[in-house]
Amino acid sequence: MISKWVGKRMVMGIVVLFIVSFLSFFIMQAAPGDPAAAFYGGNAQTLTAAEKERITRAYALDRPVAQQYIAWLGETVKGNLGTSSKEGRPVSEIIMERLPNTLLLFSVTMFFIIIGSIWLGTVAGMREGSIWDKGLSTFSIATSSIPAFWLGILFIYFFAVSLGILPSSGSGDVEGNGGVIDKISHLIMPASVLIVTHVGIYARFLQESIKIENSQYYVKVARANGVTESSIRKGVVRNASIPYLNYIAMTIPSFFGGSIIVESLFAWSGIGQLTVKAVTTKDFPLLMGSIMVTGILVVITLFIVDLIMYAMDPKMRKGGAR
Amino acid sequence: MKSRKALLFWCSLLGLIVFLTVFSNMLAPFSPNEMNMDDVYSAPSSDHWLGTDHLGRDVLSRLLEGGKVTLAVASGSVILSLIIGIVYGGISGYFGGLTDTVMMRLLEALITIPALIIILSFQAIIQGGMWGMTLLIGLTGWLVTARIVRSEFIRLKEEEFVKMANMFGTPVWKILWGHLLQNSIPAIFVVTLFNFAGAIFMEVSLSFLGIGIPPAIPSWGNMLYYAQNDILIGAWWIALFPGIMIFLTILSINFIGEAWKNPKRRRVND
Repeated sequence: MISKWVGKRMVMGIVVLFIVSFLSFFIMQAAPGDPAAAFYGGNAQTLTAAEKERITRAYALDRPVAQQYIAWLGETVKGNLGTSSKEGRPVSEIIMERLPNTLLLFSVTMFFIIIGSIWLGTVAGMREGSIWDKGLSTFSIATSSIPAFWLGILFIYFFAVSLGILPSSGSGDVEGNGGVIDKISHLIMPASVLIVTHVGIYARFLQESIKIENSQYYVKVARANGVTESSIRKGVVRNASIPYLNYIAMTIPSFFGGSIIVESLFAWSGIGQLTVKAVTTKDFPLLMGSIMVTGILVVITLFIVDLIMYAMDPKMRKGGAR
Repeated sequence: MKSRKALLFWCSLLGLIVFLTVFSNMLAPFSPNEMNMDDVYSAPSSDHWLGTDHLGRDVLSRLLEGGKVTLAVASGSVILSLIIGIVYGGISGYFGGLTDTVMMRLLEALITIPALIIILSFQAIIQGGMWGMTLLIGLTGWLVTARIVRSEFIRLKEEEFVKMANMFGTPVWKILWGHLLQNSIPAIFVVTLFNFAGAIFMEVSLSFLGIGIPPAIPSWGNMLYYAQNDILIGAWWIALFPGIMIFLTILSINFIGEAWKNPKRRRVND
């Protein structure tokens, strides 16, 4: 059963990556100048005739667009993302330098968002009508209405300019003078901005699905039979967490979008900041590369969330429709 | 009763914001682009209520004018995505079968790609102005609307009055327009409200990154773009007020949307 399910998910992921690759390829086509120049950017002038010939052959530039796409895709799959037109280094090298920072920011924020929202959502959801219940609804609407980057600007003003306790930008270096402490102090502001603006909305979703689950007949029967409150809570939260995970999966793409902006604001040297830099400097090979990598990141994350859901939901394991 | 009052409050707040920005020409004390190099970075005072920016321009005037730009871009793009969403979702929901499956699979794939990424890449090539931005936000914002319209159409298609109308030989366009679309309006309204908030977020984010609205035109996002440098020298008023306006606008839209949401239709995102 699982192999069939995994296969289905994989096909979906591949379709998404195809669309992203179309987008990428379209950028190369639409970029000013001929594709070889777009691909090698500022270095195009330094290429010799033989090298140009080789590029033209490798990317099938003298043949129809469809064949060019296939050739380009072949090179991309092999890991050749071209050369940055501004830095003159291979795009894949630049991206590999940036990737750990993005993964660090993403995993730290997601960890705290999930822990925080499960805690808040459970407390609020299990006590219907309490202050927690009403308070969380308002809190979540209010926090999700704050633009994350604006909160970031305010944080910079308070913590970096006024108090001077946290660095306003950069991503720190573990091997530098400050070591791990330096890295963490750079991480605090971008991560907390993302956590504050997202935790409420996830908590609220869990709260609502716990409330629905709590009013189900089976819970009533369990209560009537004197099942302890703690084991009822365990069961209810477990069942409510499946729509919650689904919601996380649905919002992951916009979360990635939001982290692009926060990365740029704090000059956190990750993929998001790289993408924005590539757009503003018109570094098309770099832009294509970072778009592809973001697409791959989203697909992998969704796949992991799906796997967790699969493991938790017996209905899905038995082959039921989602 | 209490929620009625709250709804009224949020509606009037949103109305006030729209009013202030639409009539910014008359209400603004200064011209939004009027520079005064002798008066840069002056803190809020009786002369400039909300202070001046790095070129000595009045923040309050730019705030009102910028709101007009931001809200115009958001409204334009929401209308565009509403139309695309209704057509796409309507076709998918009404015809069903293979068409529906293919269209929904495509939609599912598109929804996984961060809209910001798509807009960023197009902005890199065309570097459009205000209307280019509107177009891009509209073209990437219709996915959820399409989903809602589809599920509404599928639900309504099975209702008795639609089956009856079919039996009587009512023309298809009349069923689509009068029966299916008009009965989906409450659901479409709610999702469009949230879409509007999303479009404001998108414009503001892009302009904040310096790749949205051209810098010559004031918008809330553009103001914040300059504010990130101004904040480092302590000019907090340039950053604070556009953010508060964005926050209040989105907050009132979200509360109105929440109040309108049918309790039974718990999740708009589905």
